[in-house]
Amino acid sequence: MSIAVLLILAIAAFLAGLGGSYLGVGGGVFLIPFMTLALSVNIKVAIATSLIGVIATSSGAASVYVRDHLTNLRLAMFLEVATTLGAIAGALVGLGAPDFYLYLVFGVVVLYAATTMVRVRETAKERAYRGGGKESPFTKRLKLSSVYFDQEDQGVYRYRVERPVTGFGVSAAAGLFSGLLGVGGGFIKVPAMNVLMRVPMKAAVATSNFMIGVTAAASAFLYYSRGLVDPGLAAMVIIGVFSGTYLGARLLEHAKSSNVRFAFALFLVILGTAMLARLFFPGVPL
Amino acid sequence: MQQRASNLRRAVVAEVEDMNRLIYHVLRAGVVVSVAILLFGFVLVAFTGRPIPEQSISPRALGRPLFTFTPEGYFSLGVLILIFTPVVRVFLSLVSFVRERDRQYVLMTAIVFANLLVSLFLLA
Repeated sequence: MSIAVLLILAIAAFLAGLGGSYLGVGGGVFLIPFMTLALSVNIKVAIATSLIGVIATSSGAASVYVRDHLTNLRLAMFLEVATTLGAIAGALVGLGAPDFYLYLVFGVVVLYAATTMVRVRETAKERAYRGGGKESPFTKRLKLSSVYFDQEDQGVYRYRVERPVTGFGVSAAAGLFSGLLGVGGGFIKVPAMNVLMRVPMKAAVATSNFMIGVTAAASAFLYYSRGLVDPGLAAMVIIGVFSGTYLGARLLEHAKSSNVRFAFALFLVILGTAMLARLFFPGVPL
Repeated sequence: MQQRASNLRRAVVAEVEDMNRLIYHVLRAGVVVSVAILLFGFVLVAFTGRPIPEQSISPRALGRPLFTFTPEGYFSLGVLILIFTPVVRVFLSLVSFVRERDRQYVLMTAIVFANLLVSLFLLA
């Protein structure tokens, strides 16, 4: 790999880490197309590198969120049971399924998530309301509901976690995508937590960031052992992402939740459109 | 009795606080150590004139390359340490839940940890 390629990758990784820590995603959905299209990296190597980037994003950002009590540790662990199983299955299935169907499902799910996020506005009033809802018995048993401190208005918000079983199922799918496509799965997990399970946006982002590292690690070992990890590429991604999360985590904690939500919805729209566009322009190499 | 209960609660909260801080430090350290080793790898590349490695080395075969200060060895080590960081984190969560005597979560965390180990040893 030439130095120029490596430096460009580091910059791309910085952006991925920045956006990733702010949105609760791993940056894989951006890095993989970037690596395969702009840098002509082999797709499997790109997936392996991306998984490592996801771990770096996760460890970098999640560390800050856990310390600042944004992350819901119990919810994360509960959902990780699903995602790790999904991730191993996904990595093993590998190239089993025809790409066409993957992109179709991918694009549809993402666009659906985007529209649901745009529809619901999150304000401080809504966050307070969440504390007063009815708790499902399952949530109560697992003590999933929690509280978080929001820097935006220096407020402490209690929230209840709803529909944990559905969330579990969706997380398994997120894990599957992670192992299959080298993404962190955050783009599914954040809407699942925020819209489906009614976790406030910042807590959802923080928890997702915490989870994606574990999900990615579950399949990263498999890719590493098959010699698909290019250390030079991986190094640039790790270093770039590390710097990006440093900035991104700070930005998230002081941001307005509605801004974060909007940014996320926008991200999903672009992602979904790109995924579906790939269906109609199969000439684009991947 | 009330006093005991609230003391216990306070102790548990303090434990959890500690655990959060510990997890923070472990996660942070994982990335920082990984980056430091990778940077060292770049230094080796500059000093030995060897190219930036494109093939990673299996953990079992890491001994010699590390001992002889080859870039391949240190790049691979840096990457491996990063991949291991979430595994350590899950293990810490397991310890934390055991201390809190939270059976449900000890079970769940054990399953997650087992999944990671399966991925590491059996399949990889």
